Amino acid sequence: MAKKQIYQAPKGRRAVVVAGLRTPFVKAFAEFLKMDTIALGNAVVSALLEKTNLDRGELESIVWGGVILPGLAPNVAREIALDLRLPAHVEGHTVTRACASGLQSITTAVAAIERGENDVVIAGGSDSTSNAELKLPQKVVHALAPVAFGKATPKDYLGVLSQLIPIGEVLPKMPKIAERTTGQVMGESAEDMARRNEISREAQDEFAVRSHHRAAAAIASGRLRKEIAHVETPEGKLVSADTIVRADTSVDKLAKLRPVFAKDGTLTAGNSSALTDGAAAVLLMSEDKAKALGYTPLAYFASFAYTGVDPRDQLLMGPAIAMPMALERAGYELGDMDLVDMHEAFAAQVLSVVKMLGSDAFARARLGRDKAVGEIDPAKLNVHGGSVALGHPFGATGARMVLTMANELHETGKKHALLGICAAGGLGAAAVMERAD
Amino acid sequence: MTDFLLENDAARRLITTLGLPVPVPTRLRRASGPWDERPLHDEDVIVGGSDSSAVMSVLATTLTKAGASPLVADERLRAKFHAPGEAYGRPARTVDPAALPDGMKVRALVYDATDFADPSDLHRLYEFFHPLVQRVQNSGRIVVIGRPPASFESAQAAAAQAALEGVVRSLAKEVGKRGSTAQLLYVDRGAEERIEGPLRFLLSPRSAFVSGQPLSVSGEVRAPAKVSFVRPLAGKVALVTGAARGIGAATAELLAAEGAHVVALDRPQDDALLSQVARRLGGSLLLADLGAPDAVQTIVSHLKAEHGGVDIVVHNAGITRDKTLAKMKVESWDQAIDVNLASVVKITAALLEGGLRDEGRIVCLSSVAGIAGNMGQTNYAASKSGIIGYVRKLGKHVAGRGITVNAIAPGFIETRLTAAIPVMIREVGRRLSNLGQGGLPQDVGEAITFLSSPGAYGINGQVLRVCGGALIGA
Repeated sequence: MAKKQIYQAPKGRRAVVVAGLRTPFVKAFAEFLKMDTIALGNAVVSALLEKTNLDRGELESIVWGGVILPGLAPNVAREIALDLRLPAHVEGHTVTRACASGLQSITTAVAAIERGENDVVIAGGSDSTSNAELKLPQKVVHALAPVAFGKATPKDYLGVLSQLIPIGEVLPKMPKIAERTTGQVMGESAEDMARRNEISREAQDEFAVRSHHRAAAAIASGRLRKEIAHVETPEGKLVSADTIVRADTSVDKLAKLRPVFAKDGTLTAGNSSALTDGAAAVLLMSEDKAKALGYTPLAYFASFAYTGVDPRDQLLMGPAIAMPMALERAGYELGDMDLVDMHEAFAAQVLSVVKMLGSDAFARARLGRDKAVGEIDPAKLNVHGGSVALGHPFGATGARMVLTMANELHETGKKHALLGICAAGGLGAAAVMERAD
Repeated sequence: MTDFLLENDAARRLITTLGLPVPVPTRLRRASGPWDERPLHDEDVIVGGSDSSAVMSVLATTLTKAGASPLVADERLRAKFHAPGEAYGRPARTVDPAALPDGMKVRALVYDATDFADPSDLHRLYEFFHPLVQRVQNSGRIVVIGRPPASFESAQAAAAQAALEGVVRSLAKEVGKRGSTAQLLYVDRGAEERIEGPLRFLLSPRSAFVSGQPLSVSGEVRAPAKVSFVRPLAGKVALVTGAARGIGAATAELLAAEGAHVVALDRPQDDALLSQVARRLGGSLLLADLGAPDAVQTIVSHLKAEHGGVDIVVHNAGITRDKTLAKMKVESWDQAIDVNLASVVKITAALLEGGLRDEGRIVCLSSVAGIAGNMGQTNYAASKSGIIGYVRKLGKHVAGRGITVNAIAPGFIETRLTAAIPVMIREVGRRLSNLGQGGLPQDVGEAITFLSSPGAYGINGQVLRVCGGALIGA
């Protein structure tokens, strides 16, 4: 692939992250059961406005990412603006790029700011698996159409009845994360990747335990506290903490779990990310505007990159291609990175990508480079845990990663962070973030 | 054009149930759609042979890149598979050929015999294949790789290598009833890299009706600037003569599916049929009678004016004028030679002078009649064996320009021509092949498309039979 010359905004025009927040991430069908993706978005955006004390009139736009979008109001971004009674001019649009949607909304906003279209944007994402709409099979929809919308004849009513046999075919289907082209559930694809890249059950469990322990430590130390907004549910319950993280888990405990995607497989509920409800958002501004309004820039984007791989081959290997692309566009090598944050759809997928990045053979065959991209120091990788421990509300995860990395760069004085996200459809997403001085 | 033993399930069941002494052919697995990046996606392939061979590394890359899950018959081979396995996520596993798990069947067996230098080495071939032959799935594939016997100084090495041909041809007959095929690749020293394209073809369903075929892979042709196995013909212009129907139409369609712009040529009286073909594949139309004196000029100037030249030429047009030589009229003799051979020579010569671009591909239609002869076809067989002599020699002349020249020899293919054969003879003709059935025009088209691709640059001056390994000693 030809090397892309990317546009670098001049200092001042650069889009910077000035603040961010997320809701607690909770298991699907639990505390947030009664909150759909718009309600979760409302919760995080209102908390972010409150925390930053932003003059509502300065906000120009909301960009939102989501995977399971509400059928009757798919433009979640605008619904949030309307629900929160923001000034009418605060427009909104909603993007979807599967599990990279949360990063996509942010890079879309960054591009708009750096082009000079906007100065102040809130970008983020949310998903509520608990509120996925049950889908009626298309044949029932078609049979019902004349009855519901037209002047139905007795024959039409009979037609509806005839479509209801056999009943199993017309019952609403449970939503599942299956690839449209391959029919494979994502865990099955990750199971394939574990086999193809020879990632053992032990390695996956160890990785998962590390993710839990790091996340638990960050929660215990208060590091994550300032990133989490407390959310009051419609039932009046205050939710203030992540519910999936297990501080007390261990390799021995995880070893007892049974494989879930294949009989002799290696993926378990313990080393995979769980279905999660949640939202995350960041406030982005042009550097000059941030200065003018008195906000401290935390970080900006040196580059981002999206790419696709054949979903029938190794569905979730996209970051192994996208991350080197983002590095190259920013003019860096992996060794220049102080932090690496990868979305953990499955421990097996992260470890597969890590192995690919460390392989000379992979670099030669798939990236057209002589040497491997490089080994990732485990001490730099997902320093506060990842999706396996925290959970994975699809559209929110990318924004959660940007939020945590922006704070991490700002607080530790480290300079560079590399982000990598795999997504359905064989997509890979990556970004290089830099501390703003 | 229908084979009741393949298409009538009731007949198939009846014959099987009654145990009639009629072999029921296996329905061949064929490919659909354009070339895949991974034609062997998740297929198990068992590899045997020597770990010291230069071919083994290419084999490892080719198989893993094509998506196969490699199984090696010898722990020592695994080292060769390590890097490509890691690059393509296809780590090799070791299996003991003599102790495969019960019921396990694989898509293909590949054996690298390039290090055979003495008849005693043939023992290793037995040890590999003996336990595995029955473990190949229906429509499975066997490929043996050797060195050209003539390339050895030592006569005993030549003997060992030549023996591979006997093994493969007989093995092809043994596995044919299950729709499987066996082929032999003789690879020149230094041409190892070039087996990738031929291997992908021979291991895929695209070689469904190629059986018992030895092919040589040489380094004589200048390598193309770029070899691609997905849309390999993008940007190429292909001339297909006799494109209105049958093999020509099927070939035109397959070439177009790989990205070629096809110039479909046939006689003016086939205007209606030909324009349908051209329209279906977004190609263009060229009406010309190859027997006419100005045909060569028409073709060359059309290709130059409309397309700035041509990259692929498929000489498919052909006629039969069957009669025993004793009863044949002189016009029948002359017409067959003119259209099938003389005009091929004339058009090719003119295009080589101007019009055919470097890295071009010329594919001429020969026939098994040209190899084995046929009653009543002295004229036709003369033209078709003439083609073989022509491609063998011409291939040498143009190799420096990166051009290859090859012939395809179809056997019994289900077309208008074979449908006209009396029913009993037709039925016998069909069953003669190793595969117990006739081929389809598509099968010939697939072979032509393979030879037309950049990845076939190791194959030059050769005859590829698409005959299901019919009972002839090609």
